[in-house]
Amino acid sequence: MSTVLDEDMGAGAGQGAGASRRTALSLHRTELVLALVAVAGFGVLAATTGGNILQPGTMQAVLQFLAVPIVVGLAQMVVLSVGQMNLSVGALTGLCAMAAASLMADSGLTPWLALPAALLVGALAGLVNGTLVVLTRINGFIVTLATMSVISGLRFSINGTGTYQDYSPGLVRLGRADVLGLPVVFLVAVATAVLVWFFFARCVAGRMLLASGGNPFAARLSGISNDRSVVLAHLLSGLLAAVAGVLVVALSGSVNASVGDDLLLPSFAAPIIGGVVLTGGVVSVLGTCLAAFIVRLVDVAQAQYGINPRWVDLVVGAVVLGAVLVSQRRGKGSS
Amino acid sequence: MNRKSTATPRGGPETDVQPPRLDAPVPDDGHGPEGTAAERVGPRAAGLPWWANPRVGLVVVIAVLVLGFSSARPAFLDVELTLVPLQRDIAVFAVVGLAQLAALSLGHMNLAVGRMAALAAFSAGLCYDRFGAPLVVGLVVALVVGALVGALAGGIITATGVNSFVVTLALDFGLLGVVALLYDRFAGGVAFSVRPPGLDALRSDTFSDYCAGSVCGPPVPLLVPFALVALLAVGLFFGRTRQGREILMTGSSPRAARASGIPVGRRIVTAHALSGLLAGLAGFMLATANGAFSASIGESFLLPSFLAPVLGGTLLAGGAVSAFGTVLGATLTSVIQKGLNLLQFEADALQIFIGVVLVVALSLDRIRQVLAERRGVRP
Repeated sequence: MSTVLDEDMGAGAGQGAGASRRTALSLHRTELVLALVAVAGFGVLAATTGGNILQPGTMQAVLQFLAVPIVVGLAQMVVLSVGQMNLSVGALTGLCAMAAASLMADSGLTPWLALPAALLVGALAGLVNGTLVVLTRINGFIVTLATMSVISGLRFSINGTGTYQDYSPGLVRLGRADVLGLPVVFLVAVATAVLVWFFFARCVAGRMLLASGGNPFAARLSGISNDRSVVLAHLLSGLLAAVAGVLVVALSGSVNASVGDDLLLPSFAAPIIGGVVLTGGVVSVLGTCLAAFIVRLVDVAQAQYGINPRWVDLVVGAVVLGAVLVSQRRGKGSS
Repeated sequence: MNRKSTATPRGGPETDVQPPRLDAPVPDDGHGPEGTAAERVGPRAAGLPWWANPRVGLVVVIAVLVLGFSSARPAFLDVELTLVPLQRDIAVFAVVGLAQLAALSLGHMNLAVGRMAALAAFSAGLCYDRFGAPLVVGLVVALVVGALVGALAGGIITATGVNSFVVTLALDFGLLGVVALLYDRFAGGVAFSVRPPGLDALRSDTFSDYCAGSVCGPPVPLLVPFALVALLAVGLFFGRTRQGREILMTGSSPRAARASGIPVGRRIVTAHALSGLLAGLAGFMLATANGAFSASIGESFLLPSFLAPVLGGTLLAGGAVSAFGTVLGATLTSVIQKGLNLLQFEADALQIFIGVVLVVALSLDRIRQVLAERRGVRP
């Protein structure tokens, strides 16, 4: 259960200190509730399946497939922090996965070159998103809707509907390996989450993103370039989507252009359940990770009980709405 | 930064006092990051020149594209091969766009358009399959189901004050599961195989198949009038009726609307119900055009639903809509799609092209607006 970081963040920089503390407090509580739900859900699942889920093999599968949702959720969270959205997250994850696989399989590059190249592709796409938003002043929702279309076209143009396999046995072995029972891909996701947390908690640039998101006017008066914040947020989002793409490549052993199709909605679900607000200024790395874990638990429960997989979507929808309602209710109660 | 510059009252120490009714937390107008006051007023109100009107640009672009495509591939003007299916596409996507427009009028979004369409199409299919209902009954049921789901979304938004993006996102998740489960349960798979009488005619006939004496109708598919009725109804609703104007006012400023005595909550429910109703109509039309009531209906609605109204000059910020522009936007995307198909572009190139067109069109729109505003300032 060590999916979680030990700290949270939540600060509406640029607001009054009281408001900031209250937001932080409410986030703390959201995270606490999420942690309780996660533990309780896990406990119930372990008890009702007769400890099946605690078997090393099952546990590893649970954590392995948690890695991509965590990183994709973080990719969305980073843009939400400045009050933007990135609809191209899923498509970009697929594009980066295809790019990495193509570079290894078609161009014969070693993973040491192919994976950084894929990360570069993601960062570049993010940069384009951010630049377009700033230059055209069109709503980020629409810009990324358009780039989503472009990116998913590019994703298919790499290899059509074909599948890449056997691109790098070493990489796939690494993707399926584990350290002390924890899958490597999961550890990478956790490390990414720690980095993102550190960025928002301790780095000047991260604080600036939050300031721009919380109150752009105040941020500008404090000498922060909101435009730069938007570009940086989109760039980081693209980079994180690329990390998710690389994880997919390492984990699955075969990739095709449909990778990422089903990632867009979960990318919003994790941060929203985790207490991140759409208007910007507040992020919660811990909440996002916990929410991804809870959604994963729903998946696992479906597999363990042999429920129709369609119920998963229904439950996740209910959880998203329920989580927002609960935090809204609490917000009203505390003010 | 083109976001709202007013700080949202997120509960500083001063706001601990019970706010007066005027300041009661209004449902957030969308997710916010767009629309300065100047943009929101739009070109019309500022008395800008005619070329600042996005509709004019759209007509020109469509005309140029049609000329280009038809000179490159004369088959583009072939009635049976291209023009009839093209009109069918335009009709469906115009209605999808109008469904999104109804939510955009408030500054809200409806991410569940596709799934609402799927549920509506399912209920129509169920009526035909189980009860052998006539064609019209299925249509009415589809409209009612769509409107009810839309009203549910609006009701949740009003009752909770949660952002429409989140509510419809959650609803989309939920309906995704519900629709699949329903098809599993009632259709034993992914589609109803039943064909009520009249469906095939509605699907493939055009007015040229119906003749009075020696005078036959134009080669217009029977589905097109559905879209025309929807267009007229939406246009009149927002342009002429009290309710429609009140929804637009709610969209442009919920607080001002509330202060003027508009029942903001009820208008939000109405707008979302309208959105659901139109989504239901689109679902029915697509099912008819495909000839099958299947679970995959509406899967491809999300992107076009935003493309059409946004290209047509409807703002995401709310308060201003253009029903006619939406139809033009749908026409533009359908023409591009058909044209590139004829030029034998692959599906991936098509997606890239449509994305690029959207960015370029919106950027041009932006440039035009800035130019027009500058000229407007300097009389």
